[in-house]
Amino acid sequence: MESILLGVGVTALAGALATVAGAAEDTESNIGSQGDPNSQVQLAPQMGYIHRIYNKAVSGEPPAYGLWVTIGAGVAWAFMVTGMNPVLAIVIASALAIFVQGAYATTAYLGRTASLNKFEQPVYIDLLKSVTTVTMAHAFVAVFTTVSMCYLLNAALGHPFPLALLGIVWGIALGAAGSATGNPFYGKERQYQSQKFGAGVPISASGNIVRYAEAGQRSSLDNGWFTGKLGGPASGVCFGLIVFLELWRTVLFEEIAGGWGAIIAGVLIILVFMIIDRYVEVWARKNYGPYVKAEEATA
Amino acid sequence: MSALGGAAAGGEGINPMGSAIGIVVLIIAVAITAIMAPAALGAIIGVIIGGLLIGFGVHFVPVGGAPAAMGQAPGIATGVAMLAAGAGLAGLFGGAWAAANPAFGIAIVIAAGAVGGGLMMAITCLMVNIIYVFGMGIPSASGKVDKDPITGDSQPEYKSQGTEGHGLPFISYVGGVIGGLLGGAGGTLIYYELLQVYSAALPALFNAEAAEVLPVAVSLAGIFAIGMFLVNAVLAAYNITGTIEGPHDPKFKRFPRAIIGCAVASAVCGLFAILIVVV
Repeated sequence: MESILLGVGVTALAGALATVAGAAEDTESNIGSQGDPNSQVQLAPQMGYIHRIYNKAVSGEPPAYGLWVTIGAGVAWAFMVTGMNPVLAIVIASALAIFVQGAYATTAYLGRTASLNKFEQPVYIDLLKSVTTVTMAHAFVAVFTTVSMCYLLNAALGHPFPLALLGIVWGIALGAAGSATGNPFYGKERQYQSQKFGAGVPISASGNIVRYAEAGQRSSLDNGWFTGKLGGPASGVCFGLIVFLELWRTVLFEEIAGGWGAIIAGVLIILVFMIIDRYVEVWARKNYGPYVKAEEATA
Repeated sequence: MSALGGAAAGGEGINPMGSAIGIVVLIIAVAITAIMAPAALGAIIGVIIGGLLIGFGVHFVPVGGAPAAMGQAPGIATGVAMLAAGAGLAGLFGGAWAAANPAFGIAIVIAAGAVGGGLMMAITCLMVNIIYVFGMGIPSASGKVDKDPITGDSQPEYKSQGTEGHGLPFISYVGGVIGGLLGGAGGTLIYYELLQVYSAALPALFNAEAAEVLPVAVSLAGIFAIGMFLVNAVLAAYNITGTIEGPHDPKFKRFPRAIIGCAVASAVCGLFAILIVVV
C-alpha cells in the first residue's frame, strides 16, 4: 500500500512537472518561431512583407527538444555519478544544455534571416539580443522540468531506462505534443489575426503575416504573452496528461490481472478521450454551423 | 505538389525492380544472421515485423504540417516522422517498463507499448481539436472525402473557402490512435527482441553476471529501438510526402511501398544491431 501511495505521489509530481514543461516548451518555440508556422515567417519577405519576427527553425521542435533534454539528462547523470546532489546536478546540467540552445538559436536566426537578404529582410541585432535570452529562459524551464521528471521516473518509479535514454524519449515526446497542440493557435490566431476569426486561412493569404502591433512593429517577444493565453497552457495540459495517465495506469493497475490491468485501463482511457473528442466535434458543428460566404454589404 | 496535399508527381505504384532488390537484401540480412548468430534468427524476424508495424502505423497518423498550423489543411500541425516518433517512443517507454517485469510475457509487453502509443495520440488529437474549436472557432472538415467514413458527417459545407479543410475529423482521430497503437507495438517489439539477444550474449562477452550487464543490455536495446523507430518513421514519411489526413486519404494506399522499404531497412539495421554482440 505504501509503495502504491508513493507511486501515485510521484506520478502526480511527474505530471505537474510535465505540465509546466509543455507550457514552457510551446511558449519558447513560439517566441523563437520554431514550430510549423515558421514557414510563414520564412515566406513573408519573399512575398514582400519585411518583418521583425524571430525565426530559428532549422529542425522541428521534437528533435530540437530531444537534443536539449538529452544533453541536460546526460550531463546531470554524469554529475550524479561523481557524487553531486541530484537537484544541483539537474539545475547545472539544464543550464549547460541551455547554452547549447542559445548557440543554436543565435546561429539559426542569423543563418535563416541572412538567407533572406536578397528579399531585403534585415538582420535585427536588437532582436537577436532581446529574443534569444527570452527563449533561453523559457527553454531552461522546459528542459529543467523534463529532466527532473525523467529523474523521478528512473529513481523513484524504477523505470529501467537510464536517465539519458529517458531524456531522448520524453524530449521528443515533449516537442511532438507541444508542436501539435500549440502551433495552430500561434500559426492561425497570432500570425493571421487580420483574417476572420472562425475560419481557416485561405491558401492565397500565405506569407501575409500580421507584422504590426498596437504601437510600432511587432517583435517575437509579445508572442509569449499571446501563447500564454491558450496555446501554452493547452500544450502543458496535453503533455501533462500524457505523462500522468501513462504513469498512473501503470502504477495502479499493473499488478491486476497478471499485467493486463494497466493495458485495459489504458484502452478505457483512450475510449473516454475518443468520446470527449466526438462531443467536441459535434458541439462545434452545432454551434458554429456550416461555412457561410461573406456577403456584400447592401446600402 | 506542395505540402497542401495535392496529387503526387509520379511514384504511386510499386517499383518491381526496386522491390526485388530490396527483398534480396532482406533475405541476405536474414541469411547472414542465420549463419553468424543462429540463436538470433527469431529476433531479426521480430525486428523486421516491428519495422513493418511502425511503417504501416505512420500512414494512419493525420499530419497537416505548416498548413494545418494555419487552418489550411486538416491534421496535426507537425511533421509525420516527428509525431509518429513521439507517439511510438511514448509507447516504447511503457513497453520497456513492462519488459522489466520478469513475470510478464511478450504479449503483455507489446500490448503495453501499443496502449502507451495509442494513449499519447488520443490525448494529443483531443487537445488539437480543442484548440481548433475553442481557440480558433473552426469545426473539423476533411478535404479528401465528402462524408466521414465512421460518423457519416458531411464535410464540404464546413470547410472554409480557400482551404483544404481543417481540424481533425473523427476518422482522422481514430486513424491517429491506430497509428499510435501500431507504432508503439512495433517499437516495443524491436526493443523486446533486441533485449533478449543482448541479455543472452552480453554476460559471455563481458564475462560477467547477467544482473551486472542488464543495464547495458537495456540501454543498447533502447538506443537501437529508438534509432530504428526513427529510420522507419522517416522512411514512411518520405512515402507520404508532406501531409496525410488518415486512413481515408488517397495517399494511404501507398503503404505497401513503405512496408517493403521498412522491412528492408529494419533487416539491415537489425543485422548490425545483432552483429555488434556476436562478432
